[in-house]
Amino acid sequence: MASRGTAQRPNGTQGKICQFKLVLLGESAVGKSSLVLRFVKGQFHEYQESTIGAAFLTQTVCLEETTVKFEIWDTAGQERYHSLAPMYYRGAQAAIVVYDITNQDTFTRATTWVKELQRQASPSIVIALAGNKADLGNKRVVEYEEAQAYAEENGLLFMETSAKTAMNVNDIFLAIAKKLPKNEQTGNAGTSGQGRRLVESEGQKPTSGNCCK
Amino acid sequence: MVQFWIVVCRHTSWPLHALVDEYGFERPENFNYETYEEFMSEYLKVLAKRAKKWSDIIGEGRSVRRNLTVKRYVRKGIPGVHRCSVWLSVSGAEELKNKSPNLYQQLLNDQHDPQVAENIRIDLPRTFPDNIFFNNTDLHQRQLYNILLAFAHQNQEVGYCQGLNYIAGLLLLVTKNEENAFWLLKVLIENILPEYYTPTMKGLLIDIDVLVELVKLKMPDVFQHVENLGLPWPVITTKWFICLFAEVLPTETTLRIWDCLFYEGSKIVFRVALTLIKRNKQNLLACQDFTDLAECFKEITKDSIVVKCHEFMESIFKVPGSLSNSTILKLRQKVEQTHKEQKLAKTSR
Ligand SMILES: Nc1nc2c(ncn2[C@@H]2O[C@H](COP(=O)(O)OP(=O)(O)O)[C@@H](O)[C@H]2O)c(=O)[nH]1
Ligand SMILES: [Mg+2]
Repeated sequence: MASRGTAQRPNGTQGKICQFKLVLLGESAVGKSSLVLRFVKGQFHEYQESTIGAAFLTQTVCLEETTVKFEIWDTAGQERYHSLAPMYYRGAQAAIVVYDITNQDTFTRATTWVKELQRQASPSIVIALAGNKADLGNKRVVEYEEAQAYAEENGLLFMETSAKTAMNVNDIFLAIAKKLPKNEQTGNAGTSGQGRRLVESEGQKPTSGNCCK
Repeated sequence: MVQFWIVVCRHTSWPLHALVDEYGFERPENFNYETYEEFMSEYLKVLAKRAKKWSDIIGEGRSVRRNLTVKRYVRKGIPGVHRCSVWLSVSGAEELKNKSPNLYQQLLNDQHDPQVAENIRIDLPRTFPDNIFFNNTDLHQRQLYNILLAFAHQNQEVGYCQGLNYIAGLLLLVTKNEENAFWLLKVLIENILPEYYTPTMKGLLIDIDVLVELVKLKMPDVFQHVENLGLPWPVITTKWFICLFAEVLPTETTLRIWDCLFYEGSKIVFRVALTLIKRNKQNLLACQDFTDLAECFKEITKDSIVVKCHEFMESIFKVPGSLSNSTILKLRQKVEQTHKEQKLAKTSR
């Protein structure tokens, strides 16, 4: 539910706050956790721990009219954890499906994730496709055009990203934030059994390093 | 007496303000050194006392037998120097190893599934990257690779499951011996725990719901609150079961839990989980929304309750109340039946 509340924005005007659930999906080691770490803490670890089950973080993005608070669910990539995945994307308003541009199999796996989301997740879910590790251009095997064409056909947002250099990381979250419906009538789909409460983010300042400065 | 001093020295010589613990793990960012020092000044006395008692029952090269005294001793903590040998003997791993003394080497010499080997290799640098033993030399990563590959090769149903890397990694840090770590991993996965790591993760899904049943029974208000806020239990507890609290709780606390796990079996995991929840009940109930609750479940694995491992381990046998093997067994059967019915209902729809 696009929970609405009002809060003091940094510049003192009253703004609307929307909270959205976002899930990251994709094969193991494509860089899901690294993208989240870059987005939320501005860091990158050459050796990121493998995620077991799921990890949860939040981050806030400011748009002109609204403040968007992302509730981010980062999942485990190994196939056998797949049976747990519906729990994470159920009720999600947004998903980032990640692949590694240096590994064709991860792109194929990404397309099956997209299909599963289109079939099983909330019909209004905003899906973004992220071709990660774009800094490794010399090892590229998935062409930009191929992925872009696929994204266009399926109505996905698409960017190539690098958690390592930070390229397009904030941008992809921002693009999702912009595309998400901000009013209650349209932002409501899919979360009805979730019992989500209105979040009043008083005193919570959006982390700097994003668009809020 | 000699052993007694080794143990004491091992602990007292470890600087309390070090940025890593004695197993090479970095202390968390907001680690409270003051509380820790306070706790350690007491715990060191406990350790000294326990070490003395253990050296009385473990003579030169003798291994312990399972009996009530040993069980009681195990609950009070196995000194670091004896951990490997006690785990091996009380879990039955030693017996298996003695029956097939060449197995480990043979497994390493065999032809391996390249896909499994690759999956393991990907996770090597991603296992305890902040641990000084794993990130400073290749030795630990190579040994970890061998343990996981040998295990996957002899149990092709499980193969390699993410999470085993953390368990095997911690076993290696404790035993400092890859073959012993392999045998302990094998008994843990094949004898002590139900099917957590198989492709369907059936045992994991059952045990998560068994825990939910126990919470419902013992703390109905917490159960209702978590339901109301809509946080699915697997989100909170998957890592607890899969990693057996490695990477979740402080190292010494995890090892104290494993002491009991090797002796008493998988029931201990429920005791720990229920204790964590019950001792933090007020905080959990105070959470106003889903996000707070998820955060709170993270917090409770780091606070002073769990750092004080000795008190925590005493509390796991009191706080959750009675919890017999037969209760767990019955609940497992009941949940399994429900899962079967749900599956049937789904496929027939
Ligand atoms: N070169 C490069 N490496 C990356 C990038 N993102 C992640 N990695 C590395 O890829 C490995 C797997 O990343 P991780 O975030 O754990 O992947 P996950 O399993 O999808 O969560 C780690 O060793 C990261 O350091 C990137 O954009 N560029
Ligand atoms: Mg990850």
